[in-house]
Amino acid sequence: MIKTQEISINMGPQHPSTHGVFRCVLQLDGETVTNITNHTGYLHRGTEKLAEARTYTQVIPYTDRLDYIGAMLNNTGYVQTVEKLMGLEIPERAEYIRIILQELSRIANHMLFVGCYALDMAGFTGWMYTFRDRERVLDMLEMVCGSRMTFSFMRIGGVPEDLPEEFFPALRSFLDDFPKMIEEYNGLITGNEILQARSKGIGVLSKEMALAYGVTGPNLRASGVNYDVRKAEPYGIYDRFEFDVPVLENGDCFDRYYIRVLEMEQSARIIRQALEQIPEGPIMAKVPKVIKPPVGEAYHLVEGTKGLLGYYIVSDGSTKPYRLHIHSPSFVNLGVFPEISKGHNIQDTVLILASIDIVLGEVDR
Amino acid sequence: MSDAVFTVAFYVFSAVTVLAALGVVLKKNLVHSALLLILAFVGVAGIYVLLQADFIAAVQILVYAGAVAILVAFGVMLTKRGDIRESNLANRQKWPALFVVAGVFAVIYALLGQTNWGPLAAAGPEDSVGILATLMLTDFVVPFETAAILLTVAMLGAIVIAKEVKNSK
Amino acid sequence: MENINLFVLLANWLRQWLEGVGASPDVIEVVMDVFGTVGALVFILLNALILVLLERKAAAFFQQRYGPNRWGPKGVFQTIFDSLKLLSKEDIIPKAVDKWVFKIAAYLIFIPAILVFAVIPFGEGMIISDLNIGIFYFVAVASTATLAFLMAGWGSNNKYSLIGGMRSVAQMVSYEIPLVFSLVGVVMLTGSMKMSAIVAAQTKVWFILPQFLAFLVYFIAGHAELNRGPFDMPEGEQEIVAGPYTEYSGMRWALFFLAEYANLVAVCSIATTMFLGGWNPIPGLGFLPIPTYVWFVLKVYFMIMLFMWTRWTFPRVRIDHLMHFGWKVLIPVSLVNILVTGIGIKIYQWMGW
Repeated sequence: MIKTQEISINMGPQHPSTHGVFRCVLQLDGETVTNITNHTGYLHRGTEKLAEARTYTQVIPYTDRLDYIGAMLNNTGYVQTVEKLMGLEIPERAEYIRIILQELSRIANHMLFVGCYALDMAGFTGWMYTFRDRERVLDMLEMVCGSRMTFSFMRIGGVPEDLPEEFFPALRSFLDDFPKMIEEYNGLITGNEILQARSKGIGVLSKEMALAYGVTGPNLRASGVNYDVRKAEPYGIYDRFEFDVPVLENGDCFDRYYIRVLEMEQSARIIRQALEQIPEGPIMAKVPKVIKPPVGEAYHLVEGTKGLLGYYIVSDGSTKPYRLHIHSPSFVNLGVFPEISKGHNIQDTVLILASIDIVLGEVDR
Repeated sequence: MSDAVFTVAFYVFSAVTVLAALGVVLKKNLVHSALLLILAFVGVAGIYVLLQADFIAAVQILVYAGAVAILVAFGVMLTKRGDIRESNLANRQKWPALFVVAGVFAVIYALLGQTNWGPLAAAGPEDSVGILATLMLTDFVVPFETAAILLTVAMLGAIVIAKEVKNSK
Repeated sequence: MENINLFVLLANWLRQWLEGVGASPDVIEVVMDVFGTVGALVFILLNALILVLLERKAAAFFQQRYGPNRWGPKGVFQTIFDSLKLLSKEDIIPKAVDKWVFKIAAYLIFIPAILVFAVIPFGEGMIISDLNIGIFYFVAVASTATLAFLMAGWGSNNKYSLIGGMRSVAQMVSYEIPLVFSLVGVVMLTGSMKMSAIVAAQTKVWFILPQFLAFLVYFIAGHAELNRGPFDMPEGEQEIVAGPYTEYSGMRWALFFLAEYANLVAVCSIATTMFLGGWNPIPGLGFLPIPTYVWFVLKVYFMIMLFMWTRWTFPRVRIDHLMHFGWKVLIPVSLVNILVTGIGIKIYQWMGW
């Protein structure tokens, strides 16, 4: 009887489409993937351990390097955890600034996702379109804090600086153009026959499997579970805004892709409301120069760009955290990658990996 | 084309064909053998061109050189990767091979003796393709269609074999 | 048209001069062939030079960016500097490769690309060899391009390359069939496979009108034959890095791309000849003093722009979708086209037109 020989190929850590230094070993039967083994850790920097030797404020820049695509959300998650530990109330205006910056960061992340998803099936033009628009978001964030990627903007107790004057017209014109951008993405990327044929029914993540593996974020919502931390356990002032949580049913690559497009629209909606309601006032709460949270522990969840981002801090009353643990969504979500890729073509594997939306800074911490 | 050019071209093509054919037999690497086989086919196609059989020459390249690409593909897929350099080894069938080859040469020699090697009375037709097409679809329509059916059957067989591999997993 | 063009005049002058110095007919034939080949080679290389830049500029245009703009006005010298860089790079041949196969593959890919140009009528009277089997010769020669990919994929001794080579064989063999079938309709209408006869048959009506379906099939299958997106399976940089090209570097690597662009010109030239009237001017514009070869090049570049447009718009299809599309859509469609063309020709004959 004819028997085929399986070959194993090594994808990564240097590979065009592993989105960083992720490595996996594929077992191939022809072009069909029979097994995948994940190998992570190429970007491990020991953030959690490093944090134990830094003061609470000094930890903020480290959080930038986790999910460096949506660094604002990481900053916020961390400072909110410390604030929770200290029982700090932060001023209204700072809350609104945080919301605007977080949602802008989320839009930037999802734009990158949409572009890279197109790029991972060689849709180079789609990638360029989203990057053209992402540039505007990054420009705005640069106006605010002078950096385009690692912002380190949030502070324990508020934000260090008010939004600059030129920020508001830029944001307004961006929001005005935003529906047109989404229309363009839908026309060029979402509506493309080849993309739909390649992503529908591929890498199906069932509701049960998603819950069993602890998948969170857009990936979970694409599988039909309505869970968004912003709605389920509102933090900050998210409960003041009207927005929908898009939920799709199939859990395939296409749903995981399309839910990001829908979420961008909701983020824009939140920013519009925040822009209308934003009050004048102070931007920093009264915080002592040396931050010494009381002995205790705090766990805080935020809805990161990739899913549920959790910070767990144990304080021994000193200026440095006794223990910091980060629950990173990318790492958890990556766990389903071998499961849902089995039996698919090698081309789909790349697409499934893209649809899970990992950032290696967060996977390896 | 004048005789001088013709002669030079003939010897070049013949040399290529013979040397490539020898390489097919003597090379130890299966892939090299298959690639040299293509070269031999191309040499034969060149000789067809010299005989003014341009259509046959093109068919030779299209079918044989193209088909051999598939042959190589199968050679690659059906051979274990580790020992490809030693995959086309000579076996111990020297004597039977000698008899078979001697038989083939005897037949060819007999045919050579019977053939009338005088020059053709008329020059070759200008439009060989048109005449071939008419012949294929009138006088030789039955063999032509039979060949087509035969190929379809072979293709179906190949599909069945390929499908079976999948089911048996 | 009576205005004999520049290149034909040159060729005639050369022939007369050779006869004047008393060269034998053999020598004249060989010299004329050599000059024709060199002319075609110059044409290929010049086009490759332009196309590399054009592709980057076209991609930039589709993607709303500038593209290369550093070297020379608007970056027109970019290709020259790229070539210099590639020439000066080290030619790395990994230790484990099958050396002969690896080396020869890079040259072999160029041979069919050049051979094809022997039968392309660049203008009135401008064809290197007007073969009886013109278009069939193109099909036969183009089919051998697969081999170079397979050799490169195999010889590189790299699993990514091997997968790329296998894909290339599967794809090119499958898409050759609709490509050939789409050309059959035109041959039926003309009743000849001679390129000059096909062009001459299109002085009034271009074959794109009666054979529009065939043109579409040819256009789609042409993408697959050229390994250009959306059918750039063998390269598939997102999955298999660069397929057969993975282990190549420097000028050897550049040869693959030169061949790709030469093939692009060849496929577009065949499309122009078969469907867009060859070097015939656009009907109604024949009075313009434009030489036939300019018409030809204009049409070829129109086709090339179409190819670039699709490449930079569509994402890559999956290999099994590609196979399904080829075998279950394109081949039946092209067969139907042949049937309809045959019936149409018979109807015309009955009506006595």
